[in-house]
Amino acid sequence: MSGGGIARGRLAEERKSWRKNHPHGFVAKPDNAQDGSLDLMVWKCIIPGKPGTDWEGGFFPLTLHFSEDYPSKPPKCKFPPGFFHPNVYPSGTVCLSILNEDYGWRPAITVKQILVGIQDLLDQPNPADPAQTDGYQLFVQDPTEYRRKVRQQAKQYPPAL
Amino acid sequence: MASLQHSQAIKGAKVLMVGAGGIGCELLKTLALSDFQDIHIIDMDTIEVSNLNRQFLFRQSHVGQSKAKVARDAVLRFRPHINITPYHANAKDSNFNVDFFKQFNVVLNGLDNLDARRHVNRLCLAAEVPLVESGTTGFLGQVTVHVKGKTECYECQPKPAPKTYPVCTITSTPSKFVHCVVWAKDLLFAKLFGDKNQDNDLNVRSNDAARSPEHAGDAFEWSGNEDLEQYGRGIYDHVFGYNIERALSNEETWKNRNKPRPIYCRDVLPDRMTQQNGNVDKTDDLSSASAMASLGLKNPQDIWCLMENTKVFLEALKLFFTNRRKEIGNLSFDKDDQLAVEFVTAAANIRAASFNIPLHSLFEAKGIAGNIVHAVATTNAIVAGLIVIEAIKVLKKDTESYRMTYCLEHPSKKMLLMPVEPFEPNKSCCVCSKTPLSLEINTHRSKLRDFVEKIVKAKLGMNSPLIMHATALLYEVGDDLEENEIANYTANLEKVLSELPPPVIDGTVLTVEDLQQEFTCNIHIKHREEFDEEKEPDGMVLSGWTQAPPEKKDGKTSIGNGASTSKSLPTKLGITEIDNEVKEISDGTVSPGMKRKLSEFSDGSTVDQSSDVDETRNNKKTQKHDDDDDLDLVMLDHWDSNMSEKQRSP
Repeated sequence: MSGGGIARGRLAEERKSWRKNHPHGFVAKPDNAQDGSLDLMVWKCIIPGKPGTDWEGGFFPLTLHFSEDYPSKPPKCKFPPGFFHPNVYPSGTVCLSILNEDYGWRPAITVKQILVGIQDLLDQPNPADPAQTDGYQLFVQDPTEYRRKVRQQAKQYPPAL
Repeated sequence: MASLQHSQAIKGAKVLMVGAGGIGCELLKTLALSDFQDIHIIDMDTIEVSNLNRQFLFRQSHVGQSKAKVARDAVLRFRPHINITPYHANAKDSNFNVDFFKQFNVVLNGLDNLDARRHVNRLCLAAEVPLVESGTTGFLGQVTVHVKGKTECYECQPKPAPKTYPVCTITSTPSKFVHCVVWAKDLLFAKLFGDKNQDNDLNVRSNDAARSPEHAGDAFEWSGNEDLEQYGRGIYDHVFGYNIERALSNEETWKNRNKPRPIYCRDVLPDRMTQQNGNVDKTDDLSSASAMASLGLKNPQDIWCLMENTKVFLEALKLFFTNRRKEIGNLSFDKDDQLAVEFVTAAANIRAASFNIPLHSLFEAKGIAGNIVHAVATTNAIVAGLIVIEAIKVLKKDTESYRMTYCLEHPSKKMLLMPVEPFEPNKSCCVCSKTPLSLEINTHRSKLRDFVEKIVKAKLGMNSPLIMHATALLYEVGDDLEENEIANYTANLEKVLSELPPPVIDGTVLTVEDLQQEFTCNIHIKHREEFDEEKEPDGMVLSGWTQAPPEKKDGKTSIGNGASTSKSLPTKLGITEIDNEVKEISDGTVSPGMKRKLSEFSDGSTVDQSSDVDETRNNKKTQKHDDDDDLDLVMLDHWDSNMSEKQRSP
C-alpha cells in the first residue's frame, strides 16, 4: 500500500468531519483490516430506512471501498450481495448517478452526502437504470408484492443491539 | 480622510477576545472606548475575590459569576449601544472551530496558559485570521502580531522549558534559597505526604538504629501510635542532622564549598512543645488548618528564626497527621494549601540555616514554591492599549507598521516600551510551515502510549489527536467514539510500536492530526536502540520541532519546581498572565530576559546566538558587558539557538 497521500488526507478529513457531526441513525467508520488495524480505505456504514417509508425500521449495512484515486474517483458502495432494490446489482454494488465518475461524481461530494443520497435512493428507485431483475420487475409490475418484499427485508436488518 | 478610514475600520470590525481576566478587562474597556462595535469574548472562568484588585470590571457581588458575562454587562453600562457577545466556555471547546474563527477580522488573546495560546494560534492559522497575542508577568509584558504568511506564528519560536535544577544541587549542595524550597517541596514534602510509590531522591536510612527497635523499616513511616512530636523530631534529626553529617563525611564535596552544619532538634528546641505552649489541645478551625495560627505567628512577611521554623515544622507535621491523615499519601504541594506552605517554608528555612543561606519569610517562600510573580495592574493596562494599537493596524492592513512590543521593568535607553519589527515566519516551523518532524525512538521498546503522552500531547500540544500510519488509524480520542473503537485504541496504546497493526518501524511516516485544531504534522520515525537516561529521559528525541534549548547544566534531572502542582503541561510562555491574585510562571524564577543587541536585529543575518544566549541566561551579570553604546533589546522569550535562520520582515 502506498502512502495514499491525497486519498489519505481527504479520508482523514472525512473521518474528522463525520466525527464532529453526522446525521442521526447513520454509522460510518473505518473497517478492521485482517491485521486488526483500522483501515481508512474501507468504511463500514449503516443506513437507516427513512421513517414513514416501507424501509423504516431497517438498518442496512453498506461498505464503502475507497481507492488510491479517491477523491478523483468515487468509492464503490456495496450492500450485502442479493440486496433487494431495483438499482442494486446482484453483487450488492449500488448504482447511483453521483457514484458514477462519468456522470454525477464530483470530488467535493462527502461521505455524508453519499450516505444520505443512498438513503434517498432506497425509497425512490430509478426505474430508468435497473441493476437487478427481481427488484426492477416487481417494482414496475407488482407494486404490492414489491412493498411486501421491501418491508420484509427491513425486518431482516434490525438495529444493532 | 485617514481618520475616516481609521474609524470605519474600527466600526466595521468584528473582533474576538479570548480571555476576560487581567488583560481582558483592560482590553474590553479600551476596545469599547476606542469605538469598536462588535466584540465577542470567550472566558471559561468565574470571578474570584482575588481578581478584584485589578480586574476592575468586577465587584465583590460578582464573585462566582462568569467573567465574560459580567465584563460585558459592566462595559455596556458606559457603552450601551455596542454589541458584546459573551461565551462562558473553554476556548478549546469544539464549537469554537475554524468556521467560528473565520467570522472575525482579528483575534485578541489575553490568555494565561501556553496550551490555550497554541490552540488559538492553530485555529487562527487555519481560519487565516490575524492574531494579536499578549502576556504579562509583573512589570514585564509583550504584545505580538501573528498574520499567516506575513509574520511568524506564535509557535515559530521556542518557548522556555520549565526551570530545572541538577539533582545533586537539590539533594546535596544547595547554594540558593530556591534550592532549599525545591528540596522541601519536591523531596521532603513529597516523601512524607505524597505518593509512596513515586521515586524520591531523599536520602533515607533504611535501618534506623537511632530510633526504637520496632522502627526497623523506613524511618519515615509513622507507626500509628508513636507520639507525633517524637516522630517529627525523628524526621527533623534525620534530614537536618544525620543526612548533613553523612554528606560532610565526603570531604571531596566540600573542598570548594562552605560546609553545612548539622542541626539537631534538641539543640534548637530542648523542651517538648507540648510543655511550652498550652495551645495544643485547642482544636478550633483556625489552629487546625495552620501551624502559624496555633503557634500565634501572625505576619507572613516576618522572617522566622531557626527556633520558630523548628516549631512550625513540628507543628505543621503534627497537624497533617492529626487533622488530615486521610490525605497523607495523596498530597501534592499546592501553593494555596496554607499548612503545606508553612511546612515547606519551615523545612526550607531550616535547610537554609544549615547551609548558611539567608532565611526567607513564608510570603517569599510561597512565591518561590508556587512560581508566583505578583501581578501589576498597570502592565495589563499598557499591554491592553498596545493590543488595540496593533489590532487597528491589522484592520487597516497596515502591514508595514506591525510591531512586537515589549514592556520592560527598567528603562533601557530611557525607554520602557520596546517596539521590534515582527519576524518572518520560520520556514521550519512545523505548525505554520508544515515541515515534517523526525523522531528517534526505540520502536521495539516504546509503546504507543509513550508516543502519545510524550510527543503528541506534551510536545505537540494536541488535545484530540488522531494518529495515522498511511491509511490505518492507530489512535483517536473523543466522546463520540464507539466502545469497540475505544477498546481497539486502548489495546493499541499498550503495544510497542513495532507490534502495532500495521507495525511502526524505522522509516515509517506517522501523520498526527488534531480533530479541532486543524493542525497536521508528519513524523518520520527513526529506530534507535539506546538513549541516555540523563540527557534523553523521554527515551525518544523529536527533532525539527522548535524547542527551548536545554539548560546548560550537567546532571539535569526532572526536579523542576511547579511540576508537582500542575496537572497540565509544565510549559508556559516566558510571559503569561494568570488569573489569580498572583501570577505564576512555571520556570520558577522571573526570567531575566534575553538580551540582544539592536545591531543583531538590524543586520538580521548570520549571527550565531547560541553561545551568547547561554551566557546571558546563566549569568545575569555578564549581560552588561562591553559595548554599552548599542541599544539593548530585551527579549522576554528564550531565544532559539539557531537565530541565524531568522530574518526580519521587509
